[in-house]
This record gives sequence, C-alpha cells and structure tokens, in this order.
Amino acid sequence: MKILRQIKYKPVRVVGGYTDRILRIDLGKQEIAIQELPPDFKNKYIGGRGYALKLIWDGTTRETHYDSPENILVMSSGPLGNEPAFPGTGKFIVGTISPLTDTFIDSNIGGHFGPILKRAGFDALAVSGISKKDVVILIDGDAQAISIAAAPVYDRETDDGALSLGERLLKDANGGELSDSLAAVTAGKGACNARFGIVNSLFFDVRRRRLRSKQAGRGGTGTVMRYKGLRGIVARSSLSVVNGNNAIDKEGVRQAGSKLKAVVSKCDTQQLHLSTWGTTGLSEYMDKFHLFPINNYQYGQSPESAKLFAQVFLDKYFSKKIPDGCYYGCNLACAKGSENVELTRGPKAGKVVNIDGPEYETVGAVSCMGIFDPQFVMEYNWYCDEYGIDTISTGVTISFFMECFQRGFLNADDVGYELTFGNIEAADRLLHEIADGRGFGKVVGQGVARGKKWVAQKHASRNGTSGDAVMAELNKFGMEVKGLEFSMYITKESLAQQGGYGFALKGPQHDEAWLIFIDQVHKELPTLEDKANALKWFPLIRTWFNATGLCKLPWIDVRNPEAANTAEPSKNLPTLAYYVAYLNATTGSNKTLQDVLDDSERLYVLQKLINLRHGKGTRASDQIPWRAIGPAYFNEYEARAEYYDEWLEQQLGDNKVPANPEQRHELLMEKRIETYQHLCDIVYEKKGFTSEGIPKHETVEKFGLMDEQAKQLLSQLGVNK
Amino acid sequence: MIASIKFLGMQRVLTNTDSIDMPINGNTMVSDALQYVRRQYPTLPLEERMILITVNHEAVSTGRILKDKDTISFLPLIAGG
Repeated sequence: MKILRQIKYKPVRVVGGYTDRILRIDLGKQEIAIQELPPDFKNKYIGGRGYALKLIWDGTTRETHYDSPENILVMSSGPLGNEPAFPGTGKFIVGTISPLTDTFIDSNIGGHFGPILKRAGFDALAVSGISKKDVVILIDGDAQAISIAAAPVYDRETDDGALSLGERLLKDANGGELSDSLAAVTAGKGACNARFGIVNSLFFDVRRRRLRSKQAGRGGTGTVMRYKGLRGIVARSSLSVVNGNNAIDKEGVRQAGSKLKAVVSKCDTQQLHLSTWGTTGLSEYMDKFHLFPINNYQYGQSPESAKLFAQVFLDKYFSKKIPDGCYYGCNLACAKGSENVELTRGPKAGKVVNIDGPEYETVGAVSCMGIFDPQFVMEYNWYCDEYGIDTISTGVTISFFMECFQRGFLNADDVGYELTFGNIEAADRLLHEIADGRGFGKVVGQGVARGKKWVAQKHASRNGTSGDAVMAELNKFGMEVKGLEFSMYITKESLAQQGGYGFALKGPQHDEAWLIFIDQVHKELPTLEDKANALKWFPLIRTWFNATGLCKLPWIDVRNPEAANTAEPSKNLPTLAYYVAYLNATTGSNKTLQDVLDDSERLYVLQKLINLRHGKGTRASDQIPWRAIGPAYFNEYEARAEYYDEWLEQQLGDNKVPANPEQRHELLMEKRIETYQHLCDIVYEKKGFTSEGIPKHETVEKFGLMDEQAKQLLSQLGVNK
Repeated sequence: MIASIKFLGMQRVLTNTDSIDMPINGNTMVSDALQYVRRQYPTLPLEERMILITVNHEAVSTGRILKDKDTISFLPLIAGG
C-alpha cells in the first residue's frame, strides 16, 4: 500500500479500562494527531456514545451536515469493552452526524475492532475532513505506527464489496494470513449510493476459521465513512486479550463475570435460546403477539410467518454446535452464521458465500416486504452486508414504496416494474439498484423521509392535487421518525413502545427502550405515569451500555431468576448489580446503580442538546406515524376488528361505541392520537423538559452541561432561567 | 372441558408437538397445567421464575382458574435486545 502519511508513536498501556488518548485524523489535511484527555473527561463522558457526543458537540455546529468536512466519524469502545472474563464485551460505537436524520446518530457494533483499538492505545478514533482520493487507515500497535495509505485497487468485485475488501485488507496487512490480532472496519459501494450505508466490523473467528462480520447498521454511518473517502481501517495489536482492560481489581472482575456467566449458562437454555438460535428465535414470539411486521407494519401476524421461524434457519443454514460470541468470553454466543450458502439471485448468483446472520431484524425487514422465503432472507442479508447497506432501513424503505404502489400513489411507470408486496423478483431487483445507485434505487436509497417528499410531489403533480394533502396521507404509513426508519416491531398495541420509538433521540431504534412485553403482555405499566417512568429509566440504563462498550443482551434478554423476588422484575436488577460491580472493579470507582443512571442522564441530555441544535429536538420531532399508533387504515382495523372494538369499549363504555365500523375506526384513532399527546406531556415532565420537549435550564445545569453553546441554544429556543 | 397448552419455540422442538389438550374441571388452575406439562415432559425446563405464563395472550398468575377452550403458553421473558 502506498503510504501517504505516517507517524510513529508509543502505545500507552490501558489502565482501569482507559488509555486517556484519542486518535484524531483529518483526512482533508492528511494530519494524524494523538490527543491526551484531561482526567475529568472520562468521569463526565464515560466512553463510547459519550465520547462521540462530546466530540460532535464541541467539534461541529448547527450548519454541519453528514457531508460537511468538519463532520466527525467517531469510533469508540468504553472502559468495559475489552474483557473476556465478562460476557458481552467487545462492543464499540460509531457516531456521527447522520445523512438520514441530519443530527447525531450512533450505532453499536460487535467484533474485535474496538478492543484492538484500545490495546493499540486509543479510547477513541475521530476522523474528520474529506480525502480527495480514497484512502485506508492503518493503526498498528505492534509496529507503533499510524498511517494513511492510498486505498489499494484490487478488482471490481473486491473493491466494491465491504466484506471482500475487508478480507483483502486484513490479509495484505498480515503477509496474506488472517489473524485474530487484527480487525478491520469497512464500507461498501452501497454506502456511496444510499443514505443508510453501514460500517462493517470484520474479525477472524478462530473457531470457524474464517472472517466474520458484525454491522453498525443504523443511521448511515457507512455513508459518512465513504463520503470522507475512507474505505477501511485496519487495527492491529498482539497484546493479550486476557485482562484487556487492565482492571484495578482483577479478582472483582473475575467474580462479577463468573456470576453473570453462571446466570447466562443456566437461564438462556430455559428462555430464549439465543446461544442456539441467535435472535431469530424472536420471530415466532413476535408473530404470536401481532408484533411481527408484515406489509410495511400493516399486520403483525401471518399464516406464512412460520417459514421464517428460527428452526428453519437452524435446520437449513446455521452451522450447529459452535459457540458464536462476537467477542471472547461471551457464553451467550448469539452471533450465528452459516458457511457455503450458494446465492441464487442477483449479480453474484452461483457464488458460494459465508453469511453472518440473519438477526431477527433482518428477518423482520424481509417479512415487512411481505416475503416469507428463508433463502431470500439469507441472500438479502449477505448482499446488504457486502454492499454495506442497512438491512432494516433497506427493507422498511422498500416496504414503504410497496405500500405507495398498493395504495395507488405510485405505478409501474414510476418504478419501472410492479413493486408489490411479496414480489421477490421486484424486491431483489430494487436491492441491487439501491446499491448501484441506478434506476428507482436512486430514489429508494434516500430513505423513507425523503421518499415521502418524492412521492408527494410526483403524485400531486400527476393528479393536480395538493402536495400537502398527499404528504398527510403518506405520513400515516411512512415508518420513520426524525428521518430514521423504524426497527422491526409493531407498536400499535403498546403505548409505552410508541413512546419508546417516538422519544428515542436517534430515531425509532429499540436500543433506547423496548417496553412492548412489559406493557402489552405483562401489563406492568397500567398508567401513563408507569409508562413515563419506564420511558425515563430504560433509556438511561441502555445509554450506559452504549457508553461502556457492552452488549445489552446478557442483561435484558436473560432474566435472572432472582429478579422474580424484586418489585420490578423487568429491570433485572440482580444482574445489573453484577454490571455495577464489574464497573467498579475495572475502573476503581465506587458507584451505585443510581450513580450509573446519573452518568447516563448527562449523556442523554447532551444528545438532546445536539438534536435541538440540529432542529430535531422538540415535541414536533417526537411525533410518530399513525400506523405506529393504531390501525392507520380500515383494512388494518378490519383484520382485528374484535380486538379493537373491545379496546374502544374499555375506553368509552359500551353505550358510546358507534354502531358503524368506519366510525369506530375513526374514533379509535382519535383516542389513540390524543393519548399519545398525554404521554408526551408526562414523559417530558419526568425527564425535566418543557412541554415542548426542551430540557429546562436546571436540567442542563444539573449535569454540568451549561456551556456557552448550550446557553445560547436554550435562549434561542425561549427557555430561560 | 378442555384447555389447550401451546408450545412455541424450543418447547415445540423438545416436545415434538405444537400443542396438547388437557382435561379440566371448574377448579383447575394454571398451576395444574404447569404440573401436567411437567409430568408429560419431565425434561422440559419450566422454572416458574423464568417463564411468562399467558392464557389467551394475557399474562396470568399460577392461581388463575382455567375455563373451557383456554389456551395456555409458557413463554420466555422477552425484553427486546
């Protein structure tokens, strides 16, 4: 590789989970710098998402967009993300200003890159500027060198593919061999052509003896990476993974890890069986409770869903009996994969590939298009990863356009072919068009929010109707909030989860709050007050996982039996105690769970400030589509009329329920929309926000965030002391 | 009177059936259904603290009296990844 710029450095040792160093690279100026952090930086911003938020808050302005040179692409693990003695470490965050939401986005990702970056001496990597020519970054802790190199040119297939390119880069950096002391992140050609490009995290799996991949899927982080002219980053460190955080109290870490591993071992095999099925096991349960998205979230259940249940993937595709942790030491081991799958569609038909996944979200993205073919799921999964595009946003955006076709907002002349639900040929064709940036794929690659505007204009001009009227209709079923497409859960019957998606600062991704079961099935949140409390607590604890470099699944998806003896079992507090012990043992702190929540709240408020700065932070930005609130159209109401009528009777009393079904549907939606607004009021109050969803002065001050920028912002928004 | 016990996910794999019927009377409780399944499938893990019990899609306690044609499920405690 042709080295364009290189510095030599001496990697500092990790102590108590931190190196207190950020590697800063400006691709426009080809500058490489190592920033030493002041001691209080980690205390205030923790790591991961917190570091990304602070770097974006300080280093960008309200005029910064995804393609601005000053936009920063941050990759950061956290103090706990580097420890095989504790399950579910190894996560890191990719954060930036999003091409979809035009505000802060982050996405968490597994694999070895975050831990290796840490062992190579850095708590975070921050890339700014735009390179005129495509480059790669090499961070070599062994050679003690950091380089910007011209992106190598191999062949078209390798150069275009995020997985293929990553494999070549890793081999080239290591004398032709894959090794577990190296890891890479890459972005593929789809990230050049769609706003929902992903960052792939590639690592060598010593058990499967092949390269594996995980994805930072949400919000277009890969699109930013490619726009910067950055094709890939390779990191290397041969330092031992054992005690990677160099914990202050190693025995404390061992004890906390042993306790969690024991719970995971005992309980996963009695609960979700993530170690056997990965997250595909969720499909069946979602379908049972009408939560599995079908035909753009119109329906939550289908007689065909069983074709996509976990056992199908286990029998036909998953390699069995192989522990599949995406980082060392995780005994939940849910990162399932398949070898030697022959592609039957698309430009690579006939090629035999290894596939990592599918996750539940990818299965749901395919059912959302009305498709129930497991082979298509596998191929869709692989193509999205290779192209470097998000399986969720791709599926939801295609589904949105399918519904536009169904309801007559689009026709075959607009698309070039019949874009109907369940049409595998059309979905497959559109997938490749999106990645190539050609045909109708150019439109779809912009995502749902921009797609709505395109359809409104097209339909209004064709029919001589008002664009606003068409837009109002599209807003009912265009499944996005703040510009981000929904992840794969139906929220119609859970008011708490409507808030979980609506208030999520990044947009409707369930990593802030997933309250469907405790609300809809367990009935543990009967009042608006209960729902609002959950909508404050869960986003805070979940934020902490994204700041520390941890996976949430060993906590939230493996219920500790001891939780049954607590007042709020769904918080799984006995397991959270292990996490707090792990934190204290690693960093030498003496924090309580409440301290952890307070630390998280600082990050939450900071993210809210960034959203406000970028015009996505007020009550208007927390509004959700009609379909997320209830049956937006009569066909959805009809499909579960008995259920909805019963709900309406409970709300109104028997005598007030209209006899006419159309009127019942209309009244139901009115009631649901009104209730969501009440929820907004109560949640904002709980969070210390004004009724417009803006943090009050005292809330910002409480967390030490009232700098000059915050003062001006609040003042401009009319929030004064 | 009959209640139906529905098996999902790994339970269906381990029992090799979608559901079984259980004869009930006016005093049969959910806890009896739990015992019934344990007797039929002794190796099926069903620790009360680790499952969500539903009758006709609603969470219930083990003391709930079963009615004719009720459908019972023993589900994992799903909390959303």
